[in-house]
Amino acid sequence: LETASQPAGTAGREPGGCPVIHEDFSPLRQAGFHWQWADELREGSPLYFNRFAQGYWVFTRHDAVRDMYKNPQIFSSESITPWEPNPIYRFVPTQIDAPDHITYRRIVNTWFSPRAVERADQTIRGICRSLVERVAPAGACDFVAEFALRFPTEVFLNFIGVDTAVTDQFVRWVADFFKGFSGDPAGLEPMTQALEGIRQFWIAALEERRGEAAPRDGDLASHLMHATFDDRLLTDDEVLAMLTVLVLAGLDTTRAQLGYLFRHLATHPGDRAAIIADPLLIPSAVEESLRFYTIIFGDGRKVTQDTEFHGAQLKKGDMVYGLVSGANRDPRAYERAGEFILGRKRNHHFGFAGGPHRCLGAHLARREMQVGVEEWLRLIPDFRIAADGDLAERGGGAMMTLMTLPLAWEVAR
Amino acid sequence: VKLTVDGAACMGHGRCYQLAPQLLSCDDEGYVTVRDQTIEVPADQATAAEEAAGTCPEEAIILMPE
Repeated sequence: LETASQPAGTAGREPGGCPVIHEDFSPLRQAGFHWQWADELREGSPLYFNRFAQGYWVFTRHDAVRDMYKNPQIFSSESITPWEPNPIYRFVPTQIDAPDHITYRRIVNTWFSPRAVERADQTIRGICRSLVERVAPAGACDFVAEFALRFPTEVFLNFIGVDTAVTDQFVRWVADFFKGFSGDPAGLEPMTQALEGIRQFWIAALEERRGEAAPRDGDLASHLMHATFDDRLLTDDEVLAMLTVLVLAGLDTTRAQLGYLFRHLATHPGDRAAIIADPLLIPSAVEESLRFYTIIFGDGRKVTQDTEFHGAQLKKGDMVYGLVSGANRDPRAYERAGEFILGRKRNHHFGFAGGPHRCLGAHLARREMQVGVEEWLRLIPDFRIAADGDLAERGGGAMMTLMTLPLAWEVAR
Repeated sequence: VKLTVDGAACMGHGRCYQLAPQLLSCDDEGYVTVRDQTIEVPADQATAAEEAAGTCPEEAIILMPE
């Protein structure tokens, strides 16, 4: 059968001298554990073979992760979870390769462009302000449940033209989806049901809009129904696959990144004071949190051809994992890599991935985080972590996120 | 100093025009406008140009000293 390997063909693979590990990256851990783990893996070896699931390669350093992203013709996005080479979902354009990828991508690029985000600034700010005003008088809150989950969800639904009354339902679906994304078998059922729930929501939305002569203003579902791929309209299946991934990617990630940024601000009063004194530092604080507190433990790809890559003899069908957490803190790529540096200039991190699949929502996410910091510090300039004991974070098989972040602050009585 | 952007490599991260807003700008999709072009960097923009080049995750921005 020549050299072409099946997707599961790495099980008995002789990895050619690189260290072999057997690690499940999905369990819940103590907050911060995953970055420490990534540091240890990266400094231990640039390359591992992980015998978990069917087995896959792990590249731990910045140069290899960069090259994985820069060579999508070798590293296909058909699967982005190395422990599951054939997932039950197929997101568009996330899991589409060239040449079709860019055609899909251009349909949504403008919607999520910096200019579109700029136009939404006052809306984003208004949503944020009302949430901060709601929690401020209490002197305490669970930042994750009461702010970080709600703010990006309301902004995102607003940004794509969906009634924010469905916020709670979407939050539940997204949580259930990520139970299965990490490869935990017990999460497969909730993931399947969440995908079906989201699908039914969008099927109903498409039915409601069918036959309309022109796209509704500010309504992404309607925009997609009128969009063309080359010279044909998108099919319902394409539109549904696009809307589903946008919801999953747009709601969970920003809450996760906000949680870590605010945990940093709560525990680093010096950085907080510096930002209050010079708000122009806020974009760099956001960027540095995307590097230093990246929520992406790693990013998976499927190998399309036999090739040698950074010391590994890859075979077609192999799965690889670019350890983004390792790359973002690689001292070979960053000065003072292990420190959060406010005002860092050379910050070529992969917190939004890299290559053609660079996070579509990056500009929106950045703005949400910047506005989040501005509006929060305006009303609550001084705050601390209220919890005794350790905070927990969801495993890196999905994207890391703090499960809770209890904050407290003084309230004038 | 001259600056050039490898158009095929630019993925629209948006960090260059955030760091060097007086030198670089974006198109309607968020890609930098000067793809596959070479521009002259004014003396007062030299630092901004270096920061923009250093922060591009795709290494798409190349600076050429004259």
